[in-house]
Amino acid sequence: MEITHRAISDGVVVITPIGKLNMVHAHHLRNEVDAILGKGHNRIVVDLTNVEFLDSSGLGALIGCLKAARQANGDLRIASPTEQVKLVLQLTNLDRVLTPYTNAETAYVTV
Amino acid sequence: MNAESHTLLIDTPPDTLDAVHNLLQIIWDKSPEVDIQDRIRFETALIELASNIFRHAHNGSGVSCSLTVHISNDKIEASLRDTGQPGDIEIVDVEMPDVLAESGRGLALINALVDEFTYERIDDHNVWHITKRTSQS
Repeated sequence: MEITHRAISDGVVVITPIGKLNMVHAHHLRNEVDAILGKGHNRIVVDLTNVEFLDSSGLGALIGCLKAARQANGDLRIASPTEQVKLVLQLTNLDRVLTPYTNAETAYVTV
Repeated sequence: MNAESHTLLIDTPPDTLDAVHNLLQIIWDKSPEVDIQDRIRFETALIELASNIFRHAHNGSGVSCSLTVHISNDKIEASLRDTGQPGDIEIVDVEMPDVLAESGRGLALINALVDEFTYERIDDHNVWHITKRTSQS
């Protein structure tokens, strides 16, 4: 799994994983988030545009990352999930704690 | 549509979940009439089930698994038969864990995705079966 990240305005870091966020690759996301938190950035967006498939291992990693960001007094938000990812979030009730934002760039912009 | 069966033998390691995704891609390509929502639900459930089986392969000895996918006019079914250790497995009424739990959702998710989900221990094998009824356009 390829994961890139970029800083946008207001200290927000957008992480973009590409591929399947499953049992094989979920730990890569956690490592990336831990590295970014370690550098002092605690406002993170995971851009799910290119995550073609998410399973319960991937969900577990997202929750682990959310908790790590909150422990660092920050937050982790998700943006632009595919149909498959939205379905998995809904069926597991995780859309309550990981509310999908339409766009990674504006996930922290208050309306 | 005529009913069709596809069988895949998986040895893990080295085989991975991609082998299951690839089989389903072949099936979807041959069955374009299956609704996209049904595909997503079935594929998510089957990958979740395969992950559950493969996870035990990391205990050292590896797992061999025979997967058969059967597709007919009104349903898609998968049967998996694996050599893993018998699990202390309760698949009926398994509930979603707390939203902040980092594991324990797999079997509950399968239950939510498909119409039937069964597990049996038969002759030193774990035998799993899922059925998703389909609504074809």
